[in-house]
Amino acid sequence: MDVLNELVAWFSDPGQWSGPDGIPVRTAEHVQYSLLGLLVAALIAVPVGLLTGHTGVGGFATASLANFARALPTIGVLFLIVLAAGIGLVPVVTALVALAVPPILVNTHEGVRQVDPALKDAALGMGMRGGQVLLRLELPVAVPLVVNGLRTAAVQVVATATIAAYVGVGGLGRYIVDGQARQDLTMMLGGSVLVVLLAVVTTLLFAGLSRLLVAPGLRSLAAAHR
Amino acid sequence: MITFEGAAKHYPDGTVAVAGLDLTVESGRTTVFVGPSGSGKTTSLRMVNRMVEPTSGKVLVDGRDVRSQNPAQLRRSIGYVIQQAGLFPHRTVRDNIATVPLLLGRGRGRARARAAELMDLVGLEPSQAKRYPHQLSGGQQQRVGVARALAADPPVLLMDEPFSAVDPVVRTGLQDELLRLQAELRKTVVLVTHDIDEAVRVGDRIAVFRPGGELAQYDTPERLLTHPVDDFVESFIGYDRGVRRLAFFPANHLSLREDVVLDDQDTVERALNTVDTAGEPWALVVDQRRLPLGWVAADRLRREPSGVELGRLDLTAYGHTFDVERDSLRAALDAAVLSPAGRAVGVDGDGRVLGVVSQADLGGAIWSVSG
Repeated sequence: MDVLNELVAWFSDPGQWSGPDGIPVRTAEHVQYSLLGLLVAALIAVPVGLLTGHTGVGGFATASLANFARALPTIGVLFLIVLAAGIGLVPVVTALVALAVPPILVNTHEGVRQVDPALKDAALGMGMRGGQVLLRLELPVAVPLVVNGLRTAAVQVVATATIAAYVGVGGLGRYIVDGQARQDLTMMLGGSVLVVLLAVVTTLLFAGLSRLLVAPGLRSLAAAHR
Repeated sequence: MITFEGAAKHYPDGTVAVAGLDLTVESGRTTVFVGPSGSGKTTSLRMVNRMVEPTSGKVLVDGRDVRSQNPAQLRRSIGYVIQQAGLFPHRTVRDNIATVPLLLGRGRGRARARAAELMDLVGLEPSQAKRYPHQLSGGQQQRVGVARALAADPPVLLMDEPFSAVDPVVRTGLQDELLRLQAELRKTVVLVTHDIDEAVRVGDRIAVFRPGGELAQYDTPERLLTHPVDDFVESFIGYDRGVRRLAFFPANHLSLREDVVLDDQDTVERALNTVDTAGEPWALVVDQRRLPLGWVAADRLRREPSGVELGRLDLTAYGHTFDVERDSLRAALDAAVLSPAGRAVGVDGDGRVLGVVSQADLGGAIWSVSG
């Protein structure tokens, strides 16, 4: 109970909510790195996944690459790039991108691959060209899986963006790193609670996003299969 | 007119899908490609819209080699219906039907108006326009598939096993619908099926394919059933082809008996007189509008009090009727075989009884047409 009381006290200290190392600024930094990492990852992984899914070319390469990237220790990537590029935003975002690309890529690729071949046959048979088949059939039908990949990636990125603190660019990881250095358990816990809350909010946001992006016909189809 | 000139499809592994097809499909008619699996019927169909390219020979539509045209443009001018409809799950019924008009660059408003016309044409309710494919039954989905294929008013319609994924009752309904549509639209229809009954029912001409991608026989349904060219065709069309052929003879030449059709207000006494005079073991009871109520056996009448009205008796079910003007001898024979009285009930377009015919009398009629 002591821990809980101290945690409440930590959160209710007005000093915690202002200044350059206050919770609002740290959260903003955290969100900023996460968003940036996710955005860059999506800009790479969604088009590549659509292309490999549509053509069927590079499916094996995609899966291997994704598995390889998945096995990379994010913190290792971070320090590797710090060595190469120095301290700053670039290594943080690069490490997050490396983390986020695999789930988005694999889900997008699979989302397009699992479109019923009969539907593609119908689309081509009616006179759609390759690009039209991709944009008017495969992409809309793949959206639920693509959003799913984005959500997985986003939650991982939010949880992992704590590493930004190691290279001195802030974020919620600050509380965990500093708390550890000062043997301040409450501070570490406070930072962790904030990261968890942010991850929960992220999940909720993506639930909303999927309602917005998934075509109503697919939504009611999924509901009918439930 | 669609012409296959030595069109063949060989795969690199040595498989022959189509061995070299020479065939002319007439305009404005329904031509059915029928055969067992692996006989090349679907491959041949798909050569018409370049979904399959022949390895040798060519396919001409109205004299033009299909390979001289851009595939996408060619396909927009040819309707295409596939098994299980292949509707887009993320689009409404209306937008599925509007697919080709939209590809052709018609505005959304015009495309949707056209979709509404087609829904009416294929017998879909306007209220279904905004529904999604999975909310429809299999039969309704296939109607949408046909409407989608017809949306740009193509002169040619290719149908690849369009009705094979629905149950037999719905299938018959869809076949009737196709016949009705075709009587109205007169498209050049090529339909692939493995069901010889379907082929006989909807085809003006039937091409029977044999395994190995060869054409075994190309004929009218009647010629096919009466004169199969070889053992393969004969066994493929089945040993009941004699009965099936009766579908080509109308039932309106049958002589129906009216004397054993009795009113539900007639008495048992009157009925006994009638059946005894006629020498018939069964009488059919009808209501005041002449709609059938059921059969009553002569033996049964003898056990009932003579003053009772026939409408008060428990009658034997009359089974299904045949429409004297629209149905064939096959339907009449079927009705008679299934009837507990061994007699078929002939009705007019409103279901009113015109008379009954026994199996024996049907036999005579069949004898006279099968020569």
